[in-house]
Amino acid sequence: MQKIEAVIQPSKLDAVKDALVEVGVEGMTITEARGHGRQKGHTEFYRGREYSVDLLPKVKLELVVADDMLEKAIQAITTAARTGTIGDGKIFVSKIDEAIRIRNDERGEIAL
Amino acid sequence: MQTSESTTSGMRAMYQRRMLEIRGAFEAGASGVATIAARSDALDTLVRGLWREAVEQDTRLKTGIALVALGGYGRRELFPYSDMDLLFLLDGRLAEKQVKDAIRRVNQEMWDSGIRVSPATRKLAECERFDEDNAEFAVSLLDHRLVTGDAALYGKLSGQVVPKLLQRDHKAMTARLLDLTRARHAKYGDTLFHLEPSIKDCPGGLRDVHVCGWMTKLHDGGAQVLKNGSATAAELAEDWNEFGKAVEFLWLVRCFLHYRHERDDNTLDWQAQDAAAAAAVGLSGQGPEGADAGYWMRFYFRYARSVQRRVMQAMEESAAKAPSMLLGLRRERRVETVQPGFRVERGRVNFDEVAVGGYDPAQDPDVVLQVFQAMARTGCTLGRDAEERVSRALPLLSAHLEEGPGLWHHLQGVLTGPQAGDALRAMHALGVLELLIPEFHGIDALVIRDAYHRYTVDEHTFVLIDTLHGLETAQKGPMAEWAARFGGVMRELPHPGLLYLAALMHDTGKGRSGGDHAQESMRMAESVVARLELDAYESDLVMSLIANHLEMSAALRRDIFDVETVRAFAGKVHTPEALRMLMLFTYADINAVHPDALTPWKAENLWRLYIATANYLDRSVDDERVGPQEESELIHRVTALLPGQKTAVREFLEGFPERYVLTRTPEQVRTHFQMAGRFAEDAVQLDFRYAPGVSELTLVTRDRPQLFANIAGALAAWGMNIVTADAFSNRQGVVVDSFRFTDSFRTLEMNASEHGAFVKSVHDVMTEAISLEKLLSGRRRGRKKSPLVVVETRVEFDDKASSHSTLLEVIAQDTTGLLRALSLTLAGQGCNIEVALVDTEGETAIDVFYLTRNGAKLDAESETELRRALMTAVEENASR
Repeated sequence: MQKIEAVIQPSKLDAVKDALVEVGVEGMTITEARGHGRQKGHTEFYRGREYSVDLLPKVKLELVVADDMLEKAIQAITTAARTGTIGDGKIFVSKIDEAIRIRNDERGEIAL
Repeated sequence: MQTSESTTSGMRAMYQRRMLEIRGAFEAGASGVATIAARSDALDTLVRGLWREAVEQDTRLKTGIALVALGGYGRRELFPYSDMDLLFLLDGRLAEKQVKDAIRRVNQEMWDSGIRVSPATRKLAECERFDEDNAEFAVSLLDHRLVTGDAALYGKLSGQVVPKLLQRDHKAMTARLLDLTRARHAKYGDTLFHLEPSIKDCPGGLRDVHVCGWMTKLHDGGAQVLKNGSATAAELAEDWNEFGKAVEFLWLVRCFLHYRHERDDNTLDWQAQDAAAAAAVGLSGQGPEGADAGYWMRFYFRYARSVQRRVMQAMEESAAKAPSMLLGLRRERRVETVQPGFRVERGRVNFDEVAVGGYDPAQDPDVVLQVFQAMARTGCTLGRDAEERVSRALPLLSAHLEEGPGLWHHLQGVLTGPQAGDALRAMHALGVLELLIPEFHGIDALVIRDAYHRYTVDEHTFVLIDTLHGLETAQKGPMAEWAARFGGVMRELPHPGLLYLAALMHDTGKGRSGGDHAQESMRMAESVVARLELDAYESDLVMSLIANHLEMSAALRRDIFDVETVRAFAGKVHTPEALRMLMLFTYADINAVHPDALTPWKAENLWRLYIATANYLDRSVDDERVGPQEESELIHRVTALLPGQKTAVREFLEGFPERYVLTRTPEQVRTHFQMAGRFAEDAVQLDFRYAPGVSELTLVTRDRPQLFANIAGALAAWGMNIVTADAFSNRQGVVVDSFRFTDSFRTLEMNASEHGAFVKSVHDVMTEAISLEKLLSGRRRGRKKSPLVVVETRVEFDDKASSHSTLLEVIAQDTTGLLRALSLTLAGQGCNIEVALVDTEGETAIDVFYLTRNGAKLDAESETELRRALMTAVEENASR
């Protein structure tokens, strides 16, 4: 099992969600996040006042998939979230040892 | 020889049969009250039978012990799977160990019959004591009834012990009951509007019905109990018809839930709602069989609301008798007032008595609306008598109600009061809100059945209004920083009443099936603003806010850093004032969906979109102008108003910034067009619209130097404080300058005859028939107010915003004559104002000008020179 963490543009959330459902991933956790990578913040002026925008709004998705689903899920995310410009986001993949469904103690991929 | 029915197993079988009969009767349509009384009676029979057997086995039990029903069983309100409270009351003669076995046997038999019995054994003297840690027992004693046993002993309990307990401890019991009730309400978020409510414990549920009964009994040291014995909720309900109906409905639904779940589960979950709706439970001819769950839930919420109102009132009344308590303290601090027709005493509103001539202030719409304004202002509540008088007076209120500006004045007073949400809830519950705005009826207790919405549509509207008012005071928690920032914008709104009116109406369209609810709400608001006689600017603002109320949320789902998103969104809001209102509205709308919907992350994105759009609105005007062949809906609507003049209208509109067309109604554009057509008679055309708050003056004339400076000066000379202004010109050099201003010295308000003199004076300045300097010199003798907030002057230039003009933004302290000083300086430096956008936020003036000199942008050197001259002009004007 693999865990995918993807940090994407908030405006791409719906598209990414739909793309994941399309390839058969239905469970995910979504967190409102802020951050920046190479796409640094900037400064806005409003009514003579200055507002710095150093952390940009992002959405973080977390999902755990069976090993054979990994590539499909990554493909779905990158295709839906890509605009080709700086700030499109990143995907991190890590290995998961165990998954347990609390309701009935099912373990492994069946619990996903 | 005993009959089989009298043996233990026989009695159990008879009880089971009786339970089946009761269930059968319920399913055949028996009422809730009949069902719960029948179960209670069946239990009485069983308990008496079991006890008779016990006494037969041990004759010592004949006296000295009484079996007393307490709580719901005591009230003869026993739901199909409710547990029963049974007190084994002993006098001093029988020792507990002598009766232990008999009591155990009786309880055992009942458990074996599937009855959940909660037994208690107490000596008479023990019932006299109030134990803070077991308040439930003392409270359950309020509903006592002899089932069987020693009647004389029971007589002592009901005639001496309970009255004594109440006399001595009613205050402590009331305080404890208030604490328990408040804690229970808090557990349910202090709202009855849950998606899957517990009809027993939620606010407005059956527990609150009991609280009402107990509070009444605890009043006056239990005088009520002495007089009435065990007053049931049904008896109390007779006092109040609506409450009575609510209780009957809740009884019925709880029976339904118990039979459905086959246990004491009082959760009205979605499946149960579907089933209740399909069976039309409690609708008794009011609704169709097989109704949809949303429709059925409206009945539930209406009834629960009526119970909640009653329990809050009972709690307030009880807390008033316990002055050391929090609620009491809060009320003590409330403002006490006496106004024509009513007075506020200890936080409660009471109407004056009916006068000798038959005049009843509760039937006078002016008085009643003043009452709700006082409630919105101070947080006072209606006394029960006042509520009943308003309820009874509704038909007469309806007949006497006058619409128009007077009604808007009252409604605005309610909407802008800090406690508007509660005042509106009270108006809604009494039917007064629907009287003023029948359009609101369609969303009464309307359920939006998805996991995201927490409240019914009407409650959502009130929570939204509460949220907006909440922005005006400091808050705690994770949203505090954002609430302060949005609150700053809130305080600067020139017309907060319009935002609240839009908020009140924004979801009324949900009451109509199908279609886009925002558009539907706007259509419904159309007739409301017409009845309130709002002027064109105000109506337009309210309607566009309602029509666009989802647009900012929608834009948040796009990339808010993309200029196209900002451009598209700006194209929908048109003006900074509408943008500010929409931002505040969106903030409150998200918050009113459910308590966790608004996060700092969302607030931050909302704020960013707001800044980007505000900047875009100021910086894009000059480049987006009406083209010669432009086809837009608005142009069609204007030409439709002026049949046969399509070509002339197109010529007039060509070259105006699109902002001009977008921010005017077709009727206003027609007026300006017609004014331009009268240049031959008078080259200076003025259109003056007086309003008590903000008046508007529009000038249509040919462009010339110092035009803007002169009209700004003329307004300053009359003491008018310009709130917003804009100046646009078309390709032919026709100028439309509009000024919206407040009347600082109430000159126009106090002297209607001066309106003509005011317009003539402005006209004479424009035609140079009188000297502006002379007019201004008279004005400057006026007293100067010291500012509350000091605003630092800033002068910024932007050469990139427009393709052919230089954008100038001046931020300065808002002082009378500022606009005149700025525009005079611009004229003095040879600058032509292509577009002017003047705005005020509290004490800050934000003036944006698109400038050209000799038809081109300004160079760096002239910008430096102009900055210096403007800084000096602002300083000189402020020191005058």
